Amino acid sequence: MNYPVWEPPLLGGGLIIGLIAILHVFVSHFAVGGGLFLPVTERKAYRDNNPALLEYIRSHSSFFVLVVLVFGAVSGVGIWWSIGLVNPQATATLIHVFVWGWAIEWVFFFVEIAAAFIYYYGWDRLDAQTHLRVGWIYFGAAWASLFVINGILTFMLTPGRWLETQSFASAFFNPGMLPSCLVRTAVSVALAGVYALVTASAVRDVGLRTEVTRYAAKWLLVGALAIPVGGLWYISTLPPMAREISMGGAPAVTIFAGLSLFFSVLVVLFTYFGPYRNPRHFSLTFAFVIAVMALSSTAVTEWVREAVRKPYIIYDYMYANNLRPGEMERICQLGILRSALWVRVHEVDPQALETAGREVFRVECASCHTLNGYNSIRFAVKGWGGPMIDYQLTHLNELKGFMPPFAGTEEERKALGAWLASLGPPPPNLEISPGEKAQTPPLSPEGAPRP
Amino acid sequence: MIPVIPAPVPVPQPAPTWLLQFLLVFTFILHLLPMDFLLGGVVMLTVSAFRGRNDSKHREFARRGARVMPAVVAFAITLGVAPLLFLQLVYGRLFYTSSVLMAWFWLAVVFLVLLGYYGVYWFNLQQEELGRRAAWVVLLTAVIFLQVALVFSMNMTAMLHPEDFYKEFLNGEVGRIFGPLTNSGLARFLHFVVAALAMAGLGTALLSRLWRRDAPEFAAWAHRYGLRWFHAGIGTELLVGLWFLFSLPVQVRGQFLGQSQVGTGLLVAAVLLAIVAVVAARPSLAVSTAAIVGTISLMAVIRHLVRVAYLEPYFDPGSEPVRGQWVVFTLFVLLLVAGIATVAWMLYVFFRPASRTA
Repeated sequence: MNYPVWEPPLLGGGLIIGLIAILHVFVSHFAVGGGLFLPVTERKAYRDNNPALLEYIRSHSSFFVLVVLVFGAVSGVGIWWSIGLVNPQATATLIHVFVWGWAIEWVFFFVEIAAAFIYYYGWDRLDAQTHLRVGWIYFGAAWASLFVINGILTFMLTPGRWLETQSFASAFFNPGMLPSCLVRTAVSVALAGVYALVTASAVRDVGLRTEVTRYAAKWLLVGALAIPVGGLWYISTLPPMAREISMGGAPAVTIFAGLSLFFSVLVVLFTYFGPYRNPRHFSLTFAFVIAVMALSSTAVTEWVREAVRKPYIIYDYMYANNLRPGEMERICQLGILRSALWVRVHEVDPQALETAGREVFRVECASCHTLNGYNSIRFAVKGWGGPMIDYQLTHLNELKGFMPPFAGTEEERKALGAWLASLGPPPPNLEISPGEKAQTPPLSPEGAPRP
Repeated sequence: MIPVIPAPVPVPQPAPTWLLQFLLVFTFILHLLPMDFLLGGVVMLTVSAFRGRNDSKHREFARRGARVMPAVVAFAITLGVAPLLFLQLVYGRLFYTSSVLMAWFWLAVVFLVLLGYYGVYWFNLQQEELGRRAAWVVLLTAVIFLQVALVFSMNMTAMLHPEDFYKEFLNGEVGRIFGPLTNSGLARFLHFVVAALAMAGLGTALLSRLWRRDAPEFAAWAHRYGLRWFHAGIGTELLVGLWFLFSLPVQVRGQFLGQSQVGTGLLVAAVLLAIVAVVAARPSLAVSTAAIVGTISLMAVIRHLVRVAYLEPYFDPGSEPVRGQWVVFTLFVLLLVAGIATVAWMLYVFFRPASRTA
């Protein structure tokens, strides 16, 4: 409402953030877990007096640098870029609350990058003990960075006492912070194993490959088995509606939550019966299969985490469309078109209802819905007549708990309805004439008319 | 046209505006140094990669220079995060608006930086294998980073013109409004690019000291070569800077041409320090470096004053309520000191002569 709305066709802003974020999560957790894997394995090589293992971890560190320092760092900045473009109001709020948290994270990020370079270029320049110390500094900074960002991220779903106190401490130490931190640390360890399996499979010497493959599989299994512990704790801190959405309240979210479990179990089974039990037969293709399953698990889990936050972007404080519950009454009285800065019309002209409706859609709906692509609004209203659309808009948050209420005047609601109705005529058997408004069919929980 | 500026969020600023502005300018200076070495460096490496086909000195320079670049890119990005954070806090209402209006171009920066970063690694790790094609790889990388600089220049210029926002919104499609390549935007872009070339030249001269031990003859050449870029860059910058100054609106440039003693004094001091840096470069690289870092710091302050002067009729960043988060701010300062000490220790152990005892 305060900012112009960017409507990327097909993908929509939400999916652009999602795609960047999922890839970033997959790499950034490796940045932490891999940061532990490097010094632990290097120390093991020294202790076991195993130069072949040392050579492996050295070549793994160059892979690590290319993935983490480049893609991890830039995609992290990319999330920031994309949330500022899609949700500027929410981003501005987060920065007002957490600027010193981000500043602290920036210090850790700076130390992390410096340590990674010195570790990577220091194999021949530093003595073993100093090199290991640099490795530990890297891991400490990387984990601390996760700790800080995790607090900001969980705040959005479980802002806890911040809603009353508005203090940094309440915001950061929110109910979801610790369990989520545990889950993310476990995920980091598991992903260290996933990436190590990829590099292990490329080792030429059969003996070393077998040893490193089994060792990497252990990392994956230990990490993966620790995830449910933190996961259950984390779920217990979720707001009731968020839990409900993921457990049947919204079918798509429930399916994705099931997929998250499915892919995670698959990763564990493949790893246990593959590289752990039969490391000699492990191959690069197998490693990629596990990596793709792990990426799928990451993707659906992050998607579910975002979806259960609906209808909010900051729970109980700001809706997904960047409007706040506290300003709804004023908007309903004044009108969304008169409240919004970036609209092409500020009044509803009865002769051009659809034009005003399109503007209302841009301000209230476009942060989640595209016209024809991801979460397509044309598809969502397909087959609905005018009265049905109006009924839905009037009771939006009651019929669909994961959507914010409509904000605006009655005229604006009608205008939005007219524009939505213009997207596609309903099929003849579901057409409802305006005179039949009182006989609107009863609705199923998802809001679709019962047959 | 009436400027359209969003209302502030109903959460107070976590520190007084002066502190946030100080941190914005200070961290921007930290970002400028590696950013200059990166942008100017990839252009210099492109020239040497092509000339190196027939010239062994340039070939050697391309090889050695490429080795340094990944770390330079990493620090340019890392140190760029902080000023962007404080920019969003103080000027977010203008910055988000101009960014959303040019969203496609602004988002492209992420992908361009990613490509450019991998380009730098590719050029470094595969220079031998790439052979003659290596020059094209680094040329493409330079073009990519120049595009990034162009988008930044245009956005940082666009956010100073809230009076144009709504007109652009009405006339264009949100996300595709790049704005006209105004005199001021173009002059700003060239001002930064030429400064980057000069600084990369100085950076080369500084780096040549590290190369003196194993390749004294080449190091002497690189020292002279770097200083040629530095001198030519600063000379050109005096002209481009003048163009930039006179491309600013009268009420803005007036601040630096006598209307304000502070503004005028800062500009004169910055130019004088640049002249000192040029004159001192051959006898003392240390004095020259100190002088040019002084120029850059003063220019960053001047840049901030230009922003304030542009926005003065419409926008007062100090108008938001403040509720200082002093405990966590103190923690930030302490961790910053600890972080700098840790990095300093790592650099010390890295550069001290030591033998591997594995």
